[in-house]
Amino acid sequence: MTVIVEDDAGTPEKGLAGFRKLATRDRVVAVIGQFHSSVMLAVQPLAEELKIPFFSTQASAAAITSRHLLYTFRTHAIDPDRARAWLDFIQRFGFKKVAIIGENTDYGVGLIEETKRLVSVQKLPIQLDTLIFDRGTTDFTPLLLKIKAGRPDLVINVGVGTPAYLIIKQAYDIGLFPAVPMLGSYDFPIRPEFWQNLGPVGNYFAFISYYHPAMPLTDLGKWFKERYEARYKEPAVYSAFNAFGQIAIIAQAINKACSTEGSALVQALETGKYLNWNGTVTFPRGEGPYWHQASPPLLILQYTAVNQSYGDATILWPPKMRTGTLKKP
Amino acid sequence: MHDPVLIAQYVLAGLVTGAIYALMAVGITFIYSIMKMINWSMGEFFMIGSYLQFFLIMGLLGSARWYLAVPVAMAAAGLLGVVIQRLLLRPMFVGMLERRDEYATIVTIALSVFFRNLAVVAFGPYQFSPPDYFRPVQLGPLPLNGSRFVAFVGSLLLLSLFYLGIKRTWFGRALQGAAQNRLGVQTAGIDLQRLDHMAFGIGVALAASAGALLAPVLLVHPENGSVATVKGFEIIVIGGLGSIPGSIVAGLLLGLVESLGTVLLSAAYRDVYGFALLIAILVLRPWGLFGERERVA
Repeated sequence: MTVIVEDDAGTPEKGLAGFRKLATRDRVVAVIGQFHSSVMLAVQPLAEELKIPFFSTQASAAAITSRHLLYTFRTHAIDPDRARAWLDFIQRFGFKKVAIIGENTDYGVGLIEETKRLVSVQKLPIQLDTLIFDRGTTDFTPLLLKIKAGRPDLVINVGVGTPAYLIIKQAYDIGLFPAVPMLGSYDFPIRPEFWQNLGPVGNYFAFISYYHPAMPLTDLGKWFKERYEARYKEPAVYSAFNAFGQIAIIAQAINKACSTEGSALVQALETGKYLNWNGTVTFPRGEGPYWHQASPPLLILQYTAVNQSYGDATILWPPKMRTGTLKKP
Repeated sequence: MHDPVLIAQYVLAGLVTGAIYALMAVGITFIYSIMKMINWSMGEFFMIGSYLQFFLIMGLLGSARWYLAVPVAMAAAGLLGVVIQRLLLRPMFVGMLERRDEYATIVTIALSVFFRNLAVVAFGPYQFSPPDYFRPVQLGPLPLNGSRFVAFVGSLLLLSLFYLGIKRTWFGRALQGAAQNRLGVQTAGIDLQRLDHMAFGIGVALAASAGALLAPVLLVHPENGSVATVKGFEIIVIGGLGSIPGSIVAGLLLGLVESLGTVLLSAAYRDVYGFALLIAILVLRPWGLFGERERVA
C-alpha cells in the first residue's frame, strides 16, 4: 500500500481541498488521519459523494458517527466515552464541584454538552461550572480568575493544541493549578513538547490517554511498536498506533472484499472482524454515535515528576489498572 | 454581583493585554501612515520575531539573557523587512504604477502565506516555548505571569521610545512630514525611498518585538501571528488609520472590552465584543477615535 499525505491545517476548507485532491487526482481507496472534529464533519459529505471510506483517527465529536453515514468509520474515543470516563473518575475521587473550560468547537461544545447531559440523566451529585471560550483566545486570565473564585475541586481543560497549553500556564500563574487538580481532555502531554513548553509548570497535570505501555498489544501492535521506536527513537504514541491500525484494517478489508471499490469496502468493513493494534474491532451499524464505531480503552494518567515519560506516569483510572493515587504539591 | 477585587483583576488583565495589542498595532499604522499601504503580513513578522527569540535563547544566548535576544530579533526582522521592501515593494513606488495599493495588498498577502507555510515546513506545526523571562509578579490585585509582565513593561517602553523618536528626532520629523504629504517632503530634499525602507523595517521590527516579548506567553508556532493580524487591524480602525496615539488608546480599549465581556457576558464570544466596538466606532465616528476626516481637493 502507498500512503499519500495532504495537510488539512486544522481547517475545514483545506480539509475539503485535500480530500478532493486525494480522491480525484491520487485516486486513493480510503482516507484516514482526521484529528479535528470540525474538519471531519465538513469533509464527510464529500466522502459520501465520492464514495471513499473515511476514517476518523482522532476526531471525537459524537455527531461524526451519529449522522449514520455509509462511508464514515472511527476507531477513536467519542464524547460519551470520554464524558463517562471522567464522570466515573470524578465520583471515585470524590470531587463535588467541577469547572470545565472548553473551546467553542464541535469537540469542546460536544464534550461539555455530553457531560452536562450525563450528570442530569444520572442525577449525579456533581456541581458543574462550564465555560466556553473562543478558540482564538490567547489570554485566559480573566476566565481562570472567575473559575478560581468559584473554588472548584477539579478543573477540566478542554482546549486543543495551543489553548490547552496556555490554560495550564496561565492557571499556574494565578495560583489555580496545581493547587486545584487539572484534567486534560486528550493525550497531548505524551509528546515531548509538553515538558519543553511547560517545564515544572506541567507537573501534576492529569490527562486522558488511550494508550499506556502497560496495556496489552496484538501482534500487529507489537510489530508496529518495535519499528516505530527503532525509527524515531521515542516511545510509540497512540496517534501513530491508531493511524497504522486503520491502514491495516483497510488492507484487511481490501483482501476480504477482493476489491478496492468504495461500496465493496464498506460492505466488508460492516460485516467483518479486523485485527487492530490493540484488539479485534468490528464496525456494526450501531445506535446513535456507535454507528461504524470502535472505541479504544481510555485511561487517566498523571505526571508526578518533571520530565517524566508517559510510560512512568501514574495510572489513576480505570480502577483495574490503577498504579497510584492523585498527587498534589 | 461580582466581587470588586475580581472586577479590578479583570480590568488590570484587560489593560495588560491591551498594551500588548497596542504594540502589535503600532507597526501596522506606522507603515500605513508613511507608505499609504497596508502590510497584511504583519502577523507573520510577529511570528518570525517569536521564532528568532526562541532559537536565540535556546541555541545561542541562554534563557538568562533573553533581554539580549529581543533587540537582536527586532534587528533581524527589521533587516528582513528592509530587504523585502527593497525587492518586492519598492518597484511599485518608483514607477507611476496604477493601483499601487492593490499590488501591495497582493504582495503582502502572498508573503503572509509564504512565511506561514515556510514555518510549517521548517519547524513543523508544533508549539515551542522559551522559559519564562521572570518570576510571577503581583500587579495590585492581579497575579501576573512574569513573561506577561515583561511583555507589558516592554510594550510600554518600546511604545514610549517609538513615540519620542517620532516626536523629538530629525528622522522622526521627516517621517511625520512623509505621513502628512509625500510630495511635500520630496520638495524639501528628503529621500522618500529611503524613508519608505526605514519605515517598513521599523514597522515590522515593532511587530517582531511583540512576537519576541510574547514568545513564552503565546507560544511559538506558525499560526501565532494570526492574533496579531486580526487585533492589529481592529485596533487601527478603532483608533484611526495612521494615528499612533489612536492605536495605543484603541489597544487598551480593546483589551478592556474583551476582558470584561469575557467574564461578565460570555467567553465564547470574546472576538464579538471587539468587533461590536469596531462597528460602533464605524457607525459613530467612521474615521476612528483619533483619525481625521479625509479632505479631498
